[in-house]
Parts: sequence; C-alpha cells; structure tokens
Amino acid sequence: MPLDIDLLYRRVEQMLVSMPDTSSRQEWAKCQDFLRHADPDLLREKLRRRDRGAARIPWLVAEPLSTLAGAFSASPLPTDVSIAAADSSSIAPDRHSSLRYYVLNVGYAVLTYGSAPNALLDARVQFCFEPQELYFDPEGKRIPIEESRLAILMAVEELTGLYGAAKLVSPPLLGLSDGSLILWNLQSEDKGLQSEYLRRFLSTLDAFRRDNIPLASYVSFPGSQDVVNSLRVMLCDRSAGDCAHCPQQTEDQTLCRFMRGVWDRQLFDGMLRPGERTDIFQSQSAILDKYGEHHIQFFYLNVGGEIARIEAPQWVMADSTMLDLVHSAVIDQCRKSAQYPPYPSVLIEAHEQAVISTADRQAVEGLVEQALAARGIIYVRSAKDRSKRSRGV
Amino acid sequence: MANSVDDENRIGEIVETETAFFVAESFTLHRPPALGQLVCVDADASSCVYGLVCYGTTASPDPGRRAVRRSTDGVYDEAIYREHPQLQRTLHTEFTARLVGCVEQGRIRHYLPAQPPPLHYSVRQCMPEQVRAFTEELTYLRLLLSATEIPAEQLLGAHIRQVYYLRGRDQDWLARAARHVAGLLKNEYEQLMTVLYSIDIT
Repeated sequence: MPLDIDLLYRRVEQMLVSMPDTSSRQEWAKCQDFLRHADPDLLREKLRRRDRGAARIPWLVAEPLSTLAGAFSASPLPTDVSIAAADSSSIAPDRHSSLRYYVLNVGYAVLTYGSAPNALLDARVQFCFEPQELYFDPEGKRIPIEESRLAILMAVEELTGLYGAAKLVSPPLLGLSDGSLILWNLQSEDKGLQSEYLRRFLSTLDAFRRDNIPLASYVSFPGSQDVVNSLRVMLCDRSAGDCAHCPQQTEDQTLCRFMRGVWDRQLFDGMLRPGERTDIFQSQSAILDKYGEHHIQFFYLNVGGEIARIEAPQWVMADSTMLDLVHSAVIDQCRKSAQYPPYPSVLIEAHEQAVISTADRQAVEGLVEQALAARGIIYVRSAKDRSKRSRGV
Repeated sequence: MANSVDDENRIGEIVETETAFFVAESFTLHRPPALGQLVCVDADASSCVYGLVCYGTTASPDPGRRAVRRSTDGVYDEAIYREHPQLQRTLHTEFTARLVGCVEQGRIRHYLPAQPPPLHYSVRQCMPEQVRAFTEELTYLRLLLSATEIPAEQLLGAHIRQVYYLRGRDQDWLARAARHVAGLLKNEYEQLMTVLYSIDIT
C-alpha cells in the first residue's frame, strides 16, 4: 500500500510552521553579542553554584575552561604525519532467526603523509555467537547484547581497533574516532554492564595516554546545545529549567526563549572563520564522572562549510602540542576532502573498510544456512519474517 | 629462490576469466601492459596460455565509489597521489587480454586454449624470445578481429608495432605482417588502410 503522500505533505508543512523561529537577525546579533561579552568566570561560578544547590540544572551544559568566544587559528601541520581512524558496522542479532548471532566489523585506515606517503586499510570481522558474547550475564541477569548495548559495544571495539591501527605507525600521529567519545547511552544501562564496558573503554584510553598518542573524535553537524544551555543558565535569574513558569517579560528572558531553538554549531557559525576553533569546553555529561583522568572536553571547529565538534580527553586538550596537532590535522583532513561540506578523508576510508554491504549481509546469512544444511538442519525463520519475504496477494 | 626470474615478470593477477579473454589486476597502478603487448599465463607445468592486451582501465573496484576531482591550485597530477595516499589502495588498474594461443605438448598453437586460464593465476610479460617464437607464424592475428573492447584495426596496429621493435626492427617480419593483414581485411578497405597507416613506421 503506497504511503498517503498528501497527508505527509500537510504534516511536513505543519512541522515547518511549528519550528522555533530562529530567523530573527536581531536576536542572532544579541545571542552572539552575549557570547562575546559574557564573563566566563561568572558563568563557571554560576554553573558550580547551581550544581551544588538543590535545583540542579536540567540541561546538559558545558563549562568554558578559559574564554567563551575566543577563536584560534591552526598551527602548521608537521610535514611527516600519520592519521589513524577506525569505524565499525554490525549485523545485529535477528530475533526472527532460529540462531542467535551478531557480526561486528571494525575497519581502520592509517594514512601517512610527507616523505613516505602510505595507506594501510583493513578490517577485522568478528562472528559472535558464544553465550558470553550474546549476553551480559554476571548474576544470571542475562542482558542481551542488542540495539543500544550493541552500539556501545561497537564504540568500545572501535576504540580498541583504533589503538591497534595507531600502533602500526610511528609518531607524529593522531588517532581520530568517528562520533562522540562520550558513552552517554551507558548512563541508563545496568550498573554491572556499565562498569564492564567503561572498564574496557577506559583501559584503551589509558593505552593511548601511556603511549603518548593523541586521540580525538570528530562529530559532523553536531546536535549539541551544551554551550547554548550554559548561556541560558547565565541569562536566567530564576531556577534554570523552570521555563513553564517563566513570565518571559525581560529582555534576557526573551533572548533565553530564542536560544532554546539554537544549536551550538549555529551559535559559532559566523563567529569562527574557516580553520578557526573555539576555546576548550568541558562537557558535563553525567557519565563523564566515571572517566577519571580521561574526562572529555571539546571545541567547535569551522572546517569550511560546517561547524564540527571535536572531542578529546582532557590530557590531549591540556597538552598544547597535542591540541595543535588535533586542530591542524583535522583541518588538513577536511582540506583534503573531495566533498563540500568537507569530511575527514581518513574517516571516509575507515568507513569504507567497516561497512557491511547488503550483499555481504546476505552472504553471511547464506553461510549460516549452508552450514546448517550440511548437517541436515533446516534453517528456520519466524512465520512473520517469511510472510514479509514472500508477499502473497 | 625458485622462480625468481619468473616472479620479476609477474605483472598482474587474473580476476575474471572466460573462454576468449581474461581480465587481470595490474600490480602497478596506472601502468597496465601496453596495448597490443603479448602476455602469458602458466596454467600448469606443461601448458601456457597466450593473451594480447587489448584494454586497460584505472578506477575504483567498488562500483559505488566514483573517482572525484582531487586537484587544488597547488596540488595536481602526481602530487595528488602524495596528498591522498589512500588512492594507491582504493584505485585499481585492470587490463583485458584476448586469448590468441597456447602451448600444447610443447608446441605453440594459434587457437583458443581448451580451457580459459585459471582465476587468480599470475599474468607474466613474455620474454623477447617467447615473443619471437610466438609471432613467427601470423595465423593468430585472425583472432584479434573479434575484439570488441576497441576497434580491431587499432589493436592489430598496436601489436604489430610492438612486435616489430621487439624483434629488433625486423623489416621482413613487418612486411609479412602487412601482407597477412591485407589478406585478413581484403574486404574491409577502411580498416585495412587504418592498420597499414599505423604500421608505416620504417
């Protein structure tokens, strides 16, 4: 049955009408003016006071480590440098199949520039079917590894793969991960599982630090409002988050309302020239309380055509050589990108290694089916799944 | 090390094979063997298959990834490959060779082999003495007329020029080849003239 496109069209129109109006030039100017002149010390103080107080801030906020509106250009990139990246892809457990398994494919790319240009591209595939791979089961809880837990496992394996790839070349080098380094979706998981996955993730971060390999992650088109939220906390003279009872009478209250629909990337667009980054901010995501010395910090970067968010552990951001390398290497990667807006070449190649095509997915299913058939076992799938695969009229 | 001389002559690996031709991936990016060059595949210890290079291409082996423009103001041509080292891995050069003969029971035959050469086997460039032996008789040239990759007269011309030089500017051989082509293309005046013009190199 084809979709009712007429109905969808009307709903799309309604969606556009109900979008927050952020087109007011005047409000944008006020926003960016506020960012330029806000006192970061005052903001830090206010955030800490609120954090200690009974009325905790309900939004994800970011604490500026130094300035709020500082803009910094990239230093020259070392001539001989390697950039490593990893990405992963999976075939999730299929509940319509009589066999339970999943496939993880971690791909990596290590691109070396300078006097001896080279590229190492490969992937490592894992076929997971053992009970301890399928379930997290420390006290008989039998928590299945699927959906968000599989996504977290992929992030953990990706970082391990990235470390392995980085060890293939000599410094100077940068490990660049795709997406956020903040495992925020672990927050709502079982405590045992949370601690196991964090232990593995953090031990890889330990290895990066021990080997002095700078690590960063690249978030394209970031959907975060951490900095905007911090500014709103600063604007608010009431209990931040209690917006339902806000009279919205003062100029600050009106500006705060406007900023509800503003993303950090929009806030910094126009304030950063291509190649420039913001100052460092500390993320306040609750899961980071467990990251210890690897607390994740970030900056926004105008890569030319897009504002990207670059995250890194605090020990990378605190080391000016490492920070410079992260900044200049990411800009250089985007400069080398053959697309606009740009995207780091090394991440594209790592993705190409990791991706599992539809044909590969079918091949894996075929392998399982063949192996069963060789033992005289018929591969059984759910009746519901069969009905979808052979659609009768 | 055994086969070391042979190993030096390996120029590609067969990635597609059929009765009348094979496709091989070149070991060197951008450098498929020359158009018209004679190559061979050792199918087993006693038999060898000869092919004539009729097509070359460099592209991404992934049909979903097209090449995109990489040059900037200061970076073009060879510098692009230093600036994007992954291209050495993500691009492949392939060449197609039409089968033109084989060695059976120690004798050179100018007909299609009974079996196509095995997939993944090495393609080797022919040594000058091999070329000399294979091209002594010219009956294999007829097999080139069925080439579909490029116009047959271009392939004939390129091959005859190659062999002429490899045989040490062998004028007699060139005259014989021209007469043989004239016989093959006696009803195709335009094609014949194209070949004759292209081998008028003395």
